[in-house]
Parts: sequence; C-alpha cells; structure tokens
Amino acid sequence: MLLKLSLRSFLAHKGRMVLSLIAVVLSVAFVSGTLVFSNTATATFDKLFASTASDVAVQPKTDKLSAGQDQGGKTPVIPAGQVAEVAAQPGVKSATGEVMVENATLVNPATNKSVGPTSGAPTLVGAWTPTPGNPLTITSGQAPRDSSQIMLDADTAKKAKLGLGSPLRVITTIGSYDFTVSGIATFTTTNPGAAMAFTDVPTAQRDLLGSADFTSIETYGDGSRSNDQLKAEIASAVGGGFDVKTAAEQKSDGSKNLGFLDFMKYAMLGFAGISLLVGGFLIINTFSMLVAQRTREIGLMRAIGSSRRQVNQSVLIEALALGVLGSTLGLLAGLGLAEILIALMKSLGMNLQGALQIGWTVPVAAYAIGIVITVLAAWIPARRAGKISPMAALRDHGTPSEARANTIRAILGLVLTAGGGGLLVLAATAKKAATGGSYLGLGVLLTLVGFVVLGPLLSTGVIRVLGALLPALFGPSGKLAQRNAMRNPRRTGATAAALMIGLSLVTGASVVTSSMVSSATAQIDKSVGADYIVTSRTGGMSPAIVQAASGASGLAHITEQKILPANITTPDGKTTETQVDASSPTFVDDLHLPVTAGSPQAAFSGGISVDQTFAKDHNLSIGDKLAIDYGKGRTQSVPVALITTEGNSLSDHSFNTSIATVTEAVPAADQPLPVLLLGKAAPGADVEKSLSSLQDALTAYPQLSVKDQAGYKQIIQSQVDQLLYMVYGLLGLAIAVAVLGVVNTLALSVVERTREIGLLRAIGLSRRQLRRMIRLESVVIALFGALLGTGLGLAWGISSQKVLATQGLDTLTVPVGTIVVILLLSALVGLGAALLPAFRAGRMNVLAAIATD
Amino acid sequence: MTTATAAVQTSENPGGPSANAASARLVTKAYGSGETRVTALDAVDVDIQRGRFTAIMGPSGSGKSTLMHCLAGLDTVTEGRIWIGDTEITGLKDKQLTKLRRDKIGFIFQSFNLLPTLNALENITLPMDIAGRKADQAWLEQVVETVGLADRLKHRPTQLSGGQQQRVAVARALAARPEIIFGDEPTGNLDSRSGSEVLTFLRRSVDELAQTIVMVTHDPVAAGYADRVLFLADGVIVDEMHAPTADSVLERMRRFDGKRTS
Ligand SMILES: Nc1ncnc2c1ncn2[C@@H]1O[C@H](COP(=O)(O)OP(=O)(O)OP(=O)(O)O)[C@@H](O)[C@H]1O
Ligand SMILES: [Mg+2]
Repeated sequence: MLLKLSLRSFLAHKGRMVLSLIAVVLSVAFVSGTLVFSNTATATFDKLFASTASDVAVQPKTDKLSAGQDQGGKTPVIPAGQVAEVAAQPGVKSATGEVMVENATLVNPATNKSVGPTSGAPTLVGAWTPTPGNPLTITSGQAPRDSSQIMLDADTAKKAKLGLGSPLRVITTIGSYDFTVSGIATFTTTNPGAAMAFTDVPTAQRDLLGSADFTSIETYGDGSRSNDQLKAEIASAVGGGFDVKTAAEQKSDGSKNLGFLDFMKYAMLGFAGISLLVGGFLIINTFSMLVAQRTREIGLMRAIGSSRRQVNQSVLIEALALGVLGSTLGLLAGLGLAEILIALMKSLGMNLQGALQIGWTVPVAAYAIGIVITVLAAWIPARRAGKISPMAALRDHGTPSEARANTIRAILGLVLTAGGGGLLVLAATAKKAATGGSYLGLGVLLTLVGFVVLGPLLSTGVIRVLGALLPALFGPSGKLAQRNAMRNPRRTGATAAALMIGLSLVTGASVVTSSMVSSATAQIDKSVGADYIVTSRTGGMSPAIVQAASGASGLAHITEQKILPANITTPDGKTTETQVDASSPTFVDDLHLPVTAGSPQAAFSGGISVDQTFAKDHNLSIGDKLAIDYGKGRTQSVPVALITTEGNSLSDHSFNTSIATVTEAVPAADQPLPVLLLGKAAPGADVEKSLSSLQDALTAYPQLSVKDQAGYKQIIQSQVDQLLYMVYGLLGLAIAVAVLGVVNTLALSVVERTREIGLLRAIGLSRRQLRRMIRLESVVIALFGALLGTGLGLAWGISSQKVLATQGLDTLTVPVGTIVVILLLSALVGLGAALLPAFRAGRMNVLAAIATD
Repeated sequence: MTTATAAVQTSENPGGPSANAASARLVTKAYGSGETRVTALDAVDVDIQRGRFTAIMGPSGSGKSTLMHCLAGLDTVTEGRIWIGDTEITGLKDKQLTKLRRDKIGFIFQSFNLLPTLNALENITLPMDIAGRKADQAWLEQVVETVGLADRLKHRPTQLSGGQQQRVAVARALAARPEIIFGDEPTGNLDSRSGSEVLTFLRRSVDELAQTIVMVTHDPVAAGYADRVLFLADGVIVDEMHAPTADSVLERMRRFDGKRTS
C-alpha cells in the first residue's frame, strides 16, 4: 500500500523530478564514464603491450640513476655480436636485433616544422624489422630499402599531410639526414599516440646510433621451453651487462608508464565527486519542495492514521525510485561519455580501439553512488515530512512558510565557519608549508561546510541588501522578486550553495594560478640575468646545436645546463635521490642565485649549492662535503659552497654545480646532452637583433624553442593557462549541475506558486512583469551564490598563496577581472536559468491558476 | 489587430455607456467538444448597471463562476460579445486584457486572495504598484479606515484571520477605484459575523462611493445585501429579483429547487 502510494506519487510528480534526475544522471554518468574509459584504455594498452612483447627481450642495462639517460647523446646499445650469441641458444627460434631511439626529431623540410606529437608522447625512429611483435603493417608503398628511404606511420603522415614521395628530415644528436617517404605503415593495434618512422637497419644504425649495434634483441622461442627458462639461458649467455626480460616483464614495464591514465582517472573522479555533491543539493531541494507542496496531503494521511515512519518511508521510497532510474540512465550515458573520451583521445593522437570494457565494477559503482546520494539527500526532507502534524491538513495557506531558521543552525554554522576561518589564518601564518597545507585543507573543508550551513541565514540578510535596489530599479516585479527570494531561506540557501561550490573552486584556483604567473614573472625579473632561453622538445642539444648557438652574433656567452640524476649522501648519513644541475660557470650571470651563505662563484668553481631547507634539514654549513653518486660506480665528494635563500622557484630544490666539477667523476663523453641553453647579449649589443641572430643560427633545428625573457614569461603564462582552462572546463560541469539546480528551484517554485501567479495575473500583472519577476529572483539567487562562492574562493586562494609563499608563490595576485567576469556570468546564469520557468509561468492560464487547489 | 481596434471603436455598449458597467450579449461558453461537450453558458444576455450591487445565484454547476470569469475578461467566450464600460473585451489580446483588468477591474476571490510575501498594506496597494500608479493617499486611508484594518497594516496574511484576510482583499479591490469589482463567493469561507462585516462594507462602498459590484454567492443572506439578484440555471438566466431580502431570495430558491426537481 505504502509502496503503491510512493510510486504513484513519484509518477505523478515526474515532471518535477526531471531536473533532479538529470543531476543524478550527470553525476553517475561522469563516474561510470570515467571508470569505463580507464578500464578500456588499460585493457587496450595491456593488449598492445602483450602483442608487441617478444618472448624474451635483451636490453641495455639500466639502473635507477642512468634510467632513460642518453649518455653523451648516445642511446645505450647492445653490441651486434650478441644477436648471434642469443640466436644460438637452444629453444630460440629467432633473435632479431632492433634499433629504436627516442631522441630524434622528424622535420618536414618543406615547412621546417617538427612532425609528430605535441602532446608529450614520444617520437620513435628506428629500423624496420618485421618481427611478430611489430605493431604496424605496411598499408601503402614499401619498406625502406636503402639509405634514402623512410617509412612513416599512417596517423602521423595524415596529420602532417605527408605521403609517398614526400621529403622527411631526421635530426639526431649525430646529425641531420634527409629521406623520402617510401611507405606508410598503419597500427594494427592501438596507436599509443607516438609518431613512428623507420629506415632500413644499416641506415638506422649509422644515423641514429653511430655504430653497427642494436638497442634491443627480440627473441622468440620455438615452444620447447617456457619464457622463464629461455630468459635464464639467454641471461647466462649474454652475461651480466644486460637486462633480459620475459614477455610478462616487458608488459608490466609498459604499464608502468601509464601513470597519466591514473592521473586522469582520479582527477575526473574528483570532479565527478564535486558534481555529485552539487547534485545532492538539487535533490534536497526537490524533495523539500515536494514535501512542502504535499503538506496538506501528508497531514491528511497522518490524520487518518499513517505513522511518522510510514510518511518518512514513503518519501524515501520515492527517492529510491529516482536513484534507481537515475543510475540506470547515468550508466548508459556513462557509456556514451566513455565513447566521447575515447574520441577525444583519438583526436589527441591516441587510438583506443576495441570494445568498451565495462566489467562488474562499473554498474555496482553507478548504482551505489546514484542510489546512496539520492536517498541520503532525501533523508532530511523525509524526516521533515514525518514531522508534519495532522493539523497541517486543516490549515489553509498557499505555501507553508518555513519555520524560522533555528539557532542551532546559526551556532553550528558560525562555529564551523569561524573554526575554518581560524585554520585558514593559521595556515597563512604557518612557518612550515607542510603544516600550513594541512591547516589549509581542513580550513577549506570547514569553511565550505560552514557556509553551506549558514547559507539560509545569510540569504535573508544578503538578499535584503542585494535586493534593496530591485524595487527602485524594477518596480513591483523587483519587489516581488526580492520577497520571493527571501521567503524560503533554506531553499534559496541550498540552491545558492550548489552554485557556490563550483564558483569557490574556480575563484580559488584562479587566485592561485594568477599568483603562480605573477610570482614566476617577478622571479624571472628578479633573478634571471640571461636574455635568451633555448629549450628542446625532443632529446637534448647536440654539440652541433651548442656550436651553432655560440656562433650567433651579438652574444656575450652561451651557458649549457645538463641534468644528472644522482644520489647525494650528506654528512648526517642520509641519502637523497635527486638530480644535479651542472652548468657552465657563466650560469652565475644568467641566474642570480639568492645567497644565504657562501657565494655562487665558489659553487661554480669546485663546489656545489644547496637550498636553505636542505641545508637546515641536514645541518649543513659551507664547506661540508656531499658524497654524490652518479651510478655506474661514478662518485665524487663536493664541498657545499653556496646555500641559496628559500622562496625562489628557480633555485629551490636545486643542486647547482659546474660541468667541470661533474666531469671529474663522469667523463664528458658519458654526460647527458644539455637540456637548456641560456644566452646573454653582449654589452652594448641590440637585444632584439641578437635574438634574431640566435634564432637564425638555430633555424635548422625546429625542435628548439628560442625565447627572450618576455617570450619565456609567455610560455609560463600559457602553461599555467592550460592548467587553468582544464580546471575551468571540468568545474564547468559542477556549475552546469548548479545551474540545473537554479532552474529546478525556480521551476518548482513556479508550480508551487501557481495560485499566487494566477492572482497576480488576475489583478493585472502583465506577462512581461511576471517573467521579469522570475528572472530577477533567479538573478538574485545566482548572485547570492556567486558572492558566497567568490568570497570563499578568495579566502582559500589567498590562504593557499600564503602557505605556498615559501615555495616560490610569493606574489599574491587577485585576478579582479576574472572575479568580475565570474560575477557577471553568474548574473547571466541566473537570467538563463530563469528562461524556461519564466516562460512557463507566462504561459500559465490565469483561470487554471486560480482554480488550482 | 486592426479589426479588434475597429471593433472597440465602433461597437457601442448596447445598454448605453453611462448606464452599464458591463454587458454581455448572447454569450455562450462551452467546454470540450463532441460527446463530452458541456455548455456552461447558453446565449446569456446580462447588463450590470453602474453603481449597483448585483448578486448572481444558482445551483452548483449552473455557470455562475464561468459567467463572472467571462465578464471579467479572465476567460474567453465561445460565442457572443462582452463589454466592460465602453470597451468590447471579446477579441482583445492578453496584453490589452491585462491592462483592462489592471485599470478597470477589481477582484475578490473566495480564498487565497493575498500574496503571503507582502504585508497587508502592500497587498492593498499591489494593483497600483503593478500599474505604476501612485495610490491616492486620502482615499487609501479612508478605505483602510472603513475596513477597520488600520492597526493590522504591517501584518503578513498568515498573521491575519480568514475574515481579516478577506477584508484586506476587499480593501485591495476598492483602493484602486476600479470601474467594477467581481467577487466569487467572497464570504464563502467566513463565519456569519465576519461575512456580514465584509458584506456591510461592500454595501457601503456601493451606497457611499457609487462602486459597481458583482458577486457570486450561494448564501441568500449575502444576496440580501444586493440591489438585484440574477438566478442562473444550466447556463441560462432564469429569473431576476430587485431589492431582495434574505427571505425573498430563500423563498425564490425553494421554488427554483422545486421546479428543478419536478
Ligand atoms: N475547465 C472546465 N472544463 C470543463 N468543464 C468545465 C470547466 N469549468 C467549468 N466547467 C463546467 O461548466 C459548468 C459551470 O461551471 P461553473 O464553475 O461556472 O459553475 P458554478 O455555478 O460556479 O458552480 P459552483 O457553485 O459549484 O461554483 C459546470 O458543469 C462545470 O462542470
Ligand atoms: Mg463557482
């Protein structure tokens, strides 16, 4: 009976549930879409790694310190003779030497532009060896046959508009080589986003490695032995100088590089969480309004003998129905979303083929989340419904006016907000970033909850002020709008809270990011002496590049910087895994290292610099010796000659020394190539002219970016902007759900106030005035949420900046423009949200409105 | 548009502009179509004289509310023509109707007359607010005085009794000095004392202020306050009575019921 009543009521109010349903659907879709996408991506990559792995692979030995390092610009190799050795082992069917390097650049000679991914995925150039693990097949043209031919993967060719016969240049650390495209090969499995080009084996060895060696040996067994047995035999044959890996080991190596997928997954789940939270408010509001509208009906039920529990449960059953329906639709929408994400990845060059991987976890998560959030959100309204007295059936008033927001709420809200605010202040004044960080986190949480709790109380006051202008500006519509926005503080509060959450995050993020940019810019102004900065998108900078740069006219010097992974052991016996920045001595002119003790000159003549925190943590003073281990048995002991002052992002966490000092432990030929060149204009030289002369000198290397200080700042700005756009984009979802909330509240209010609207129309309110009234109410609610949100976000952002001040975020910039735009947009959001409800109210039949009971 | 305007200009109120505040000619109102067609009004002719208190009576479902709604321009007619003063309202657009209601008509409903967000005084001045007119202060005071609400003006509707709310509604209808006030069972929800307060007040506004009032009622006592009673049955005006008393109306109703059952 109860169930029947609940379901009937659910169906009767399905129109009013639509927006709540959308909120549940969106949230669930986001969660399940993310999970399906990451399952699918993982599955496709697993398949890719499984299909490309050979039974046993022999690779050059890598330890932690030299992992991924191209020593002296050369890729580590396996001598050619080892191939025959491996092939001779019993059980080996075939052993193929392969060449594949990551440090080459593909250039279209016609445009002198780099060809290949810009997303950070690698460009791989190697020899074409048709082993069973080769993920490509030739789809047009033919494999490269001589030293003038090259084959390109189809996706890259299409993107770069290259075809058979097109010229293609390969720039390696050895030299530049021109080829003609002889064939196009297409991925048979997933294209992981890399660009791939192939020459024949001798050409690859000569141009990419500079020796007739291989970068790996791929071995296939004849089936007589397990891969592990095969590995043991091969390992003992080739000796200890190499890594020998079975197919399974190769596969798990590959999966290790997929950290970015996890990152994406958690970031998106985080945003799904936010939209879930925001959706929760929407559901609370919907059920509160349904309960309010049914006060008399519920009173009647109580009067004829329903128990509190029955009333309570009937509301929860409706919520359950909504949750089940929302989860089901959300799950389906999630599959669509996963498809969209896959298409998006495809447009970024990552081809995820194959069926969607759903598994049992996704539906379970979808239903759990959808149902739990709905029932939880309906809990408070359900309790309220249970408390309705049978008297309610007898009372006659249009809409039950809410009980005055109670004192418990006020006290709780104030305590939470004050506590959170106190924590934010503590965070801002904390000495240590780490303690500041935990205060900050807790403070953000408490102030957010505090504001949500206080929202209804604040709404009365804030809207009285905000809306004070309305009657003057908009006449009776303004007055009615203001009163309507204030009449139901709890509802206004919840609606605004939904908007507040998204906007506070956006505001906080934009304060932090604009402080990031201004801090970095200030730091560049303060400490960068170099006029020019040269960086490379692929590989390090070959001697030829350094030479070309040094040859530019109007330069005082070119500074090289190399980065070497190292373990540093301090006198207190502790070892830190880090890296050493080795530069030319002219570095001291290019970067003004802030001095706490010692001198930069000393650090670049036989000493090393450490930052203040490191010095404090390890009790270091000038002259203390650091034991540095570069791997492969190369060690040295270097005295601390400079302690840099904390709070400079360019020198914090850095260990600066000269290349000459490093050369004492690591032979020059085994050092990595420089990753950064810094240049300074000669005294009296035209800085602009020298820039173009440097750019001209390096024009043969399109993988390089040559910038002056202004250009460098722009790069930092655009990197931060990218981050910000991503955050904006994803928070857009939370705001969209919040907008749904405003629409929902207004739409339900319009339904709820049918009689009032009829009355107003009967006594002469025109359609236009009516619509304006609803629009203004919407704008006021939206602005209220926006004010709370930006206020909260500002507090968070400023506090975060203070916490990170010692980490280099020392300049606070409040993006006033952005905040003004956010407020204006919120007003627009309010207008937009009111469109439909206002339209519906305008269309309402006056008579029907009056007649409604 | 042009035809509607032309109609407004050329079609004179058949009862003459000075005599009638509202007139209806051959007004038919039907709901639904085919099998389920209900004729709520059947070719009704009515003239509401200016400065008089007219009551409309009749059994439930006879079409009283429908007639009132049509006269007030709240509802459209199926056939026939209606005038408010000199303006023919049949064929007017929503915008013009709204303006007409705002400027010339006052309403008192049986219940839910007031906006809960506004206090009594704000509710009273609401029609003028909406129209963007300034309330005539002296008149407003007089109206408030007469309804006896001077000390309740700052109260919200929920803080007022049903009778007080109804009196606020009456004050609202009067405050804007409309040409005609329509009430659909304005005392239907009130006890006899509050009812008679409201009715006395309506009566006085007709006598002293020359207000025109049309009131639908089921209550012979209420009808006794009117100058004239129209009896409606099955969508047709079957009788009318001048200078009624509660007793004569009751008597008439009895006959009427008898006729209906026979
Ligand atoms: N919207 C509608 N749709 C269909 N029929 C309607 C509608 N409104 C009224 N009617 C019908 O029109 C007739 C007249 O209704 P009306 O409301 O005018 O009666 P009334 O005289 O006011 O009755 P009461 O005294 O009960 O208020 C009735 O038969 C009613 O069923
Ligand atoms: Mg009626």
